[in-house]
Amino acid sequence: MEIRFTAEQEAWRDEVRAFLDKELPPEKEFNHEFEEDPELWDFAREFTRRVGEQGWIGLTWPKEYGGLERTSIEKTIMMEEFTYREAPMINMIGWGLAAGSLLVGGTHEQKLKFLPAIAKMETFWAEGLTEPDAGSDLASLQTSAVRDGDYWVVNGQKTYTTWGTHADVLYLAARTNPDVPKHKGISVFCLDLSLPGISFSPLYNLGGGRQNHTYLDNVRIPNDMMVGEEGMGWYYIMNAFYGGGGGYAGHAKYQRMLDDVVAYCKETTRYGKPLIKDPAVRHELANMAITVETLRLLTYEGLSAAKSTEPPAFGGAMGVVITKEAQPLFAQAITRIVGPMSQVKKGKWAPMAGHAEEWYRGSFANHAGGTSQVKRMVLATRGLGLPR
Amino acid sequence: MDLTFNEQQRAIQQTARDFFTANATAEVIRELEETGPGYSQELWKEMAALDWLGLTYPEQYGGAGAGLLDLYPIYVEMGRSIFPSPHLSTVVLAGETILALGSEEQKQDILPRIVRGDLVLPLAVIEPTGEYGPEGVHTTATPDGGGYRLRGAKSLVPYAEAAEQILIGARTGPGRLDGTLFLVDPQAHGVTVEPMDNIAGYRLYAVTLEDVSVPASAMVGGLNQAYAAAKTVVDRARVLQCAEIVGAGEKMLDFAVGYAKDRVQFGRPIGQYQAVQYLCSDIAIDMHLASLLSRQAAWLIDEGEPHAKEVAMAKAHASKAAQHMAHQAHEVHAGAAFMLEHDLQLYTRRAKHWEFNLGDTAYHEELVAQALEA
Repeated sequence: MEIRFTAEQEAWRDEVRAFLDKELPPEKEFNHEFEEDPELWDFAREFTRRVGEQGWIGLTWPKEYGGLERTSIEKTIMMEEFTYREAPMINMIGWGLAAGSLLVGGTHEQKLKFLPAIAKMETFWAEGLTEPDAGSDLASLQTSAVRDGDYWVVNGQKTYTTWGTHADVLYLAARTNPDVPKHKGISVFCLDLSLPGISFSPLYNLGGGRQNHTYLDNVRIPNDMMVGEEGMGWYYIMNAFYGGGGGYAGHAKYQRMLDDVVAYCKETTRYGKPLIKDPAVRHELANMAITVETLRLLTYEGLSAAKSTEPPAFGGAMGVVITKEAQPLFAQAITRIVGPMSQVKKGKWAPMAGHAEEWYRGSFANHAGGTSQVKRMVLATRGLGLPR
Repeated sequence: MDLTFNEQQRAIQQTARDFFTANATAEVIRELEETGPGYSQELWKEMAALDWLGLTYPEQYGGAGAGLLDLYPIYVEMGRSIFPSPHLSTVVLAGETILALGSEEQKQDILPRIVRGDLVLPLAVIEPTGEYGPEGVHTTATPDGGGYRLRGAKSLVPYAEAAEQILIGARTGPGRLDGTLFLVDPQAHGVTVEPMDNIAGYRLYAVTLEDVSVPASAMVGGLNQAYAAAKTVVDRARVLQCAEIVGAGEKMLDFAVGYAKDRVQFGRPIGQYQAVQYLCSDIAIDMHLASLLSRQAAWLIDEGEPHAKEVAMAKAHASKAAQHMAHQAHEVHAGAAFMLEHDLQLYTRRAKHWEFNLGDTAYHEELVAQALEA
């Protein structure tokens, strides 16, 4: 057992911190991932481009595709720092899902075409997985791709497409074979969004941002834009996270929320005493701290498991279940602690710069990537061996 | 970064699992609950022979000089088998306190006998008010001739009837941390030992002290030195209590998953129902998080790092987990585990003791809050 990073790894953390100190002013330390403010978007694009200049977007990727071939532990350390500072590193569909899939199954040409551009933040990606009738049961998706010579002709509808109108490329899953079991008939495409036949209609969300319905009407995708092999899409989607070098550090966001609310409790007086002296608040804070600690340990356990040959415990689903369930619980606890003023959005009357209010609205987005209920089912069946 | 046990610790765990699986069957556990001193003197001697009683003690007192993480897997296995023994109260709480505070003469006299399994010597932790920490000590010791006179009452003292001596903490000054430890003979004049019939079926006793005279040589450590040393020892014991809960949690998860697979209602195994899958996943989550938090705490202690917050987090979670795991496992079993013939209820009853032992969730959450505030 060795629950600490090496001196070398901590030096890397210092390097990341120095970069953030230089490139991320404290007032910009908030990831307004859903907000449509053009100024925020400009800053986020520029910031992400600077991360790319460091080579850090593709930190773990092979050098020939724009990466630095660093370890997933180093990526986790980087993401801890970025996440704690709420750095607006955008294009996560690009450097996460798309790059991960390409690294798992893409051809050499596809990797050369897409990965260096993602690594330099030259292309922005949106996600085309979810459909109106395929959410948690993603594998039942109905968007079809039919072969026509050197092209695939795509028809169907995607939904909840975040960042669709900002994006250059859509990471698209479509059914290329309706005659095989549902998981085996799916292929993944890199869809150039400038092609004819693509349109969006807006869906405005509770987080304050825009998502979209995406309509695909006889869109002709060149055959070489199919990632890897036909029918392997489900496998690529499921393995994208590890393919991209892992490195999720969600606990750092919760640590930040906890630290911010502890600071608020220290500087706020209620009923004649510091809020942090309130016994009910103390128990809320302690509970939150324990949740943060468990999330951190689950992340670190993942790092230590990655080095061993043992399969991840509980189908690898436990961390994601806890994270998803913690998100609304955290947001609710923070608004309970902050009290009536937690309703107030930005502006001089808003406590914690309005973050309590924004976190609360954002906490309803904990379904992204699958609901906690679905992840619980994975834990129970794959992790505990209960029957399906 | 590595959260796994090393080879030696895995070997200890395997030996412990084999030992308790073979010796601590449910029949044995049930019998120990009903008759005798509440633990098996034969198995206690065998554990001594395996070096498990002196595992963390220095070699000069017959120990093996191992770390807390080496002892941890034995507690996981004791929890899995709900094996009752004086280990936590005698070996860890009293023995390690004497190791930290006692005179060389006391150590030479007491520790080798503990290591050999010849001495039961519990530390009395709780008093009838049920308050944890230094504030909970209302027993007093006042100078009396060359020695001291003790007045007060201790509760839930393990194996007091089998004990040759009991380590008693008493208030010896007006300050919050003015406490001193004394070795008290339960046969001494003024000491009353009464069984406290309890949910866990453990041998727990009320020890009443009415003007009990002890010589100065009965003092362990100097005047008002109890807390500085006891704090670390109690933290170590808390981690081990968490480990015991983890092991019991593994077993309760086995019970729940096994039953959910086998039990058929409405034409399908109930484990296919998501409501039941949720109950099982709750147990897995509680157990695994208790394991991660307590392993981290043990590691920090072994490394000599600050650990108060992490120990408090571990026990705050484990106390809650002990209850929640038992409850969820019962929900899966419905009527079956309410019957005394089912072994799950053996775990459920002990979980209630573990929840409170050395501090409950609320107490430890307050300790976490103090760390956040600092």
